[in-house]
Amino acid sequence: MILLEPHNHIIQTTLAEKASQPSALDVQFVDFDGVRFRLTTPDRKVPTALVLSMSIRCWDELVRYGVNDILKREYGAALRAEPEFGYNVTLDVNLEQIPPEGDERDAYIKSLALLKRNALAAPFELGFQTQKQLEAAGSGQGELMALHYRDEEVIYVQASSDRVTVIFSTMFREETDRVFGKVFLQEFVDARRLPTIQSAPQVLYTTREPPLEIRHLQGLNDSEDVGYVTFVLFPRHFAKADVANSTITHIQLFRDYLHYHIKCSKAYMHSRMRYRVSEFQKVLNRAKTEAAVVDRKTVS
Amino acid sequence: MSNVLRPYLAAVRSTLTAALTLEDFSSQVVERHNKPEVEVGASKEVLLNPLIISRNENERVLIEPSINSIRLSIKIKQADEIERILCHKFTRFMMQRAENFVVLRRKPVKVGIQPSPGVLRFIDPRVAQGYDISFLITNNHTDTMLKHKIVDFIIQFMEEVDKEISEMKLSLNARARVVAESYLTAFNV
Repeated sequence: MILLEPHNHIIQTTLAEKASQPSALDVQFVDFDGVRFRLTTPDRKVPTALVLSMSIRCWDELVRYGVNDILKREYGAALRAEPEFGYNVTLDVNLEQIPPEGDERDAYIKSLALLKRNALAAPFELGFQTQKQLEAAGSGQGELMALHYRDEEVIYVQASSDRVTVIFSTMFREETDRVFGKVFLQEFVDARRLPTIQSAPQVLYTTREPPLEIRHLQGLNDSEDVGYVTFVLFPRHFAKADVANSTITHIQLFRDYLHYHIKCSKAYMHSRMRYRVSEFQKVLNRAKTEAAVVDRKTVS
Repeated sequence: MSNVLRPYLAAVRSTLTAALTLEDFSSQVVERHNKPEVEVGASKEVLLNPLIISRNENERVLIEPSINSIRLSIKIKQADEIERILCHKFTRFMMQRAENFVVLRRKPVKVGIQPSPGVLRFIDPRVAQGYDISFLITNNHTDTMLKHKIVDFIIQFMEEVDKEISEMKLSLNARARVVAESYLTAFNV
């Protein structure tokens, strides 16, 4: 599993299970970037009426970039006008009206599991639209859209007449993460030289120094632990609707993907060191003479 | 083993074997104390001349003998930031398990010699600073363990630690490459 899944696994499995066997439930769970979910049946006697709520950190910003339109387009009448208390989005899922078992039901459940992805797609879709307008106009720059999706980390999306720039700022909490992150990001830059992935978006990275597009912003964290990764998306990455959707899905997960693999490498190093140390231990144990092993008993 | 490494390890091996002539020795300062003199450093006459075997400016071994104990410190090669991190992680991992490795010291020796001017005179202070891992072998260890096997252990450690660190670095780079390629390939729809 090298690539991360864009949908939420818990929503998918729980809904699939409840669709065949409805029963009362109340579960709260989380996803990447501090997103919280709650799946409940408000009335215990009506187990087919489910309510799915999501709380996301950067909701106010998403509203500004038109998240409501996107969610209305994706979920239609299921979207509640007034979300549940403590959450930003609430969907009503009626299991009686769910499509019959088969591909159609799977697709419906999958679309609910993609709630977070669809919400976070707002600035990207807006960026792609702005690019098309700017291209028609011939020049100009779109608004720099910031998305504070984590405490110290931000996604910036900016459209120009010929491209859309996506900048991730990411924070490395420890020295090891920082060094490993550098190795990984360098490979992202170098990997594009391969002929098979020439058409991938261009990747640039800097540590500490913010890229030109966001240099004028106030309050950027100025420390060695901050890295900036810039993806330059060209029209070929979002010209067709399905390509645009997969680009959005994919690019959203970049930060999680990077950090996930940094953690994986650390875990691998750890198991490797554990093995090596036990080998050294064996070598040292060979030095011990038999006499030392015999434990003496006191006279009793 | 490369040809450059061999004479270095041979020098460490013969020096260590020669230095491992330890005997029981009670403290001259405190009655009924019996402590590794190289750590206590209270009586100068039982400390022998420390010795540094250097392969290059980044790799060296400091051997500090005394009458009942010997301290051996290793500076491991760290060419760049990644190797520095990996080396630090690896040595820390071992030192946390020091009670299993009876001859391992919990902390590396930072400055080679206890600052006694008579001894320090022989050693360039720039060279004598900072080691990554230290071993302390006392007369109790040589009594219960085979001397040549202890030496074997230390030599094998020195041989393999470099190999391990460079392999870990390679595997990190290989993983990074695969990760980057598969992420970017997914854009080719």
